[in-house]
Amino acid sequence: MSDATLIILLSTLTTGLMLGVIFSLVAVGVTIIYGSIWMPNAANGQFFLLASLFVWSATVSFGLHPAFAALLVIGASVPLSYLLEATLVRRFYDVPNRNISYFVLTLGITQILAGIFSITYGVWSDQFQIPPIVAGVTMIGPFPIANNRLAAMLIAGALLAALFALLRYHKYGRALRAVFQNRDAAALRGVDVRGIYRMSFVLGNAVVFAGGVLFACAYSFDLTVAWTMAITAFAIMIIGGPGSVLGALVIGIVFGFTQAIVSIFASPTVAAFSYLGAMLVILLFKPSGLFAR
Amino acid sequence: MIDRILASRQSQLALFALLAFAVPLLLSGNRYFAFIAGITLVHVLWASGMNLLYGYTGLMPLMFAGIAGISSYLVVGLTSIGWSFWLAMPVGALAASLVGVVLGLPALRLKGFYFTLCSLVIQTVITLAFVYFVNLTNGDTGISQIPLPTLPGGASLHGLPYDLVLAALAVIGVFVLIRLVDSGFGRRLIAVREDDELAETLGIGVTRQKLTAFFVGSLYAGIGGAFYTPYVGFISPRSFDVLISLNVWLMVAFGGRGTIWGPVIGAVLLAPVPFLLQDYYMIKDVVYGLLIIGVIVLLPAGIVGGLVRRPKPDPEIVPATVGEGAR
Amino acid sequence: MSAPLLDARSVTMRFGGVVALRDVCVAQMAGETLGMIGPNGSGKTTFVNVITGHLAPTSGAVDFAGRPLLGRKPHRIADAGLTRTYQAVRVFRELTVRDNIATALVDAEAPLARAEVDEAIGWLALGGRLDAVAGGLTLYEQRRLELLMRLVQRPKLIMLDEPVGGLSSVEVRAMIGLLAELKSRCSVFVIEHTMKVIRELADRVVVLLAGEKIADGPPAEILTDQRVIEKYLGSADA
Repeated sequence: MSDATLIILLSTLTTGLMLGVIFSLVAVGVTIIYGSIWMPNAANGQFFLLASLFVWSATVSFGLHPAFAALLVIGASVPLSYLLEATLVRRFYDVPNRNISYFVLTLGITQILAGIFSITYGVWSDQFQIPPIVAGVTMIGPFPIANNRLAAMLIAGALLAALFALLRYHKYGRALRAVFQNRDAAALRGVDVRGIYRMSFVLGNAVVFAGGVLFACAYSFDLTVAWTMAITAFAIMIIGGPGSVLGALVIGIVFGFTQAIVSIFASPTVAAFSYLGAMLVILLFKPSGLFAR
Repeated sequence: MIDRILASRQSQLALFALLAFAVPLLLSGNRYFAFIAGITLVHVLWASGMNLLYGYTGLMPLMFAGIAGISSYLVVGLTSIGWSFWLAMPVGALAASLVGVVLGLPALRLKGFYFTLCSLVIQTVITLAFVYFVNLTNGDTGISQIPLPTLPGGASLHGLPYDLVLAALAVIGVFVLIRLVDSGFGRRLIAVREDDELAETLGIGVTRQKLTAFFVGSLYAGIGGAFYTPYVGFISPRSFDVLISLNVWLMVAFGGRGTIWGPVIGAVLLAPVPFLLQDYYMIKDVVYGLLIIGVIVLLPAGIVGGLVRRPKPDPEIVPATVGEGAR
Repeated sequence: MSAPLLDARSVTMRFGGVVALRDVCVAQMAGETLGMIGPNGSGKTTFVNVITGHLAPTSGAVDFAGRPLLGRKPHRIADAGLTRTYQAVRVFRELTVRDNIATALVDAEAPLARAEVDEAIGWLALGGRLDAVAGGLTLYEQRRLELLMRLVQRPKLIMLDEPVGGLSSVEVRAMIGLLAELKSRCSVFVIEHTMKVIRELADRVVVLLAGEKIADGPPAEILTDQRVIEKYLGSADA
């Protein structure tokens, strides 16, 4: 195998893995919220962008160390989520067909955030890049990979593993899954359903924020990433099966590699098209998704 | 009693017709205000079509603007190759409503959020297609200097006469909606909206009703799109993107879905907003977003619907399982 | 002897690997009242879903009034004069009683005449509630409305899925009285857990157990059948 082929292969592999873990992370966050509260958060892309932009501001404008800024932003998602939960989300917990109310509500939030970003960040810059957390380059054979990206990838992978363990083995994770399956039965067994709702909203958003932060650390980005990420995360959730963490994980990785491979031959728009197509097919023929419980 | 309601609806329609024709006449001194009135009248038509689908059939079609756009681009294309507007308009509108029926097919399988998500995907694809087929649509740049419809005798339809045509369209649109809703068709749609399985058990052909609703609703979108285009003189993919669908939906939801006059009032109140905000164009999205949240949180039944008391939904019938929206 | 009104032959329904109905044969004559009993999960509601076109069976055949039913959409089956109610009461909760009735009439193949509708309303004592919103009615009233919405369509056969479920004992007694009178209006198929309903109404009883028919005969015989008592009545309220 020539070096050129090897480099393309390794580059596709790392890009696929990198995008895959980020996609998975965001989709897991989205699916945790949908699975418990039944809330399809159309604003997840804007939340993702919000996190990216905040890290950019904290590092570029305020000169914080990127690692510290990242933790700060993820931490900031917690009070933000609590605030949203208390003011808006909570009102719909008992509304019939609340998923459509939530969808419209979050479309509204999307419009607000998109509007705010375009009159603030949009005016300041087209492209956003933050200084690397770790410097240097690692050589994998002939292929150089920035330590910074490697670190972001490893952290994202570790986060996914931690989330998976949390949902599988921790008391909260078990309660969350009980609510996923049947909220009435869970309530009868003494699970604090509303508490679980609030926790999943906070946790899900924190995960989406983490995705945005890690993405910002690894890549430069612009405001359109919000829209792309929203479509991608929704497509992953629908295809993997709404509420299925495993589905989000697997399909997220698959999408990451799809994007990496497609980008070699065609524009990323083609990848977006293929996600939309795949989502449409699943919606029509197996709306419960591939990994439905 | 039914006669009394009908009688009062007739007088309401007469009042609306009076206002629809009077306002452009009164504003004819100021072309800018008259133009806002004309755009509002197109939105009355659109909101009535959206109301048939969202208010009466219970489906939220976020590809509504896309369907209007298909009609609009068709009319522009056909007139540019020499067709008369008056031939291109019905052809474009009919083609768009057939597309609407095809795109509505998912509605036969999907309900609630799943249908809405599907329609959002379809709208996104339509928008991408408008951007992508550059030689037909001129891509993101859009098409400007769209010729006005010509009248017999060679004069072009513009100014006050165009406003009055739009007023007539809005009045006819509302009149047709009233007739549809008061007929057995309207009763069937409401049954489908409330519980489609029960409707089917009672002998109502749900599939046919939904497809018919899609045809009629899309026809509203298409006719509105066809008349909107020369009136404004410029279209681009942004003229028919998901935000436009959402805005028309907002007019229906804000005014009161499933009522005749709610969406009309919603259109009258909201369609002029972008013009009022013209100097603050940047915050338009934020204002719309706040309105959407305000309606969902504070006025779920809309202005008019809020006046008619609705019973509290029984929490026991809330489907609790994931994927319940799909069949 | 004439052909049965409803004739289900060897109906089998599988969901993936689970067999919900296995070779179930049920025939019902016109004018006969047929009861169906069985423990929870024995396939009773699945059987009704198959007959009324809500589920397509894996195999088997169903004739109604001499014509095959399978493959027809639920609304076509309703047109043929076969209708059903649901285990959890189901009316258009947001609409008034009057609109509920009008909706039942809108696509009825052979609707009752105006005067007959009024008579049916009177019989079910809903005359005073016509302008009430259906969701605000008591459960017993909703059950009656459900019945009325079927009756105005002039059905040949009505399949009732636990018509006294959730009612108080006084209401159960009243409902049994209504159902006894219903028998003169159309043929009745009734799923019930409450044995009193079956004992007082049914001419014949079919027993389902784990998707299979294990007994078929007059109630007096069936309800004393040792197997049925062991399998079912022994563990349930007789």
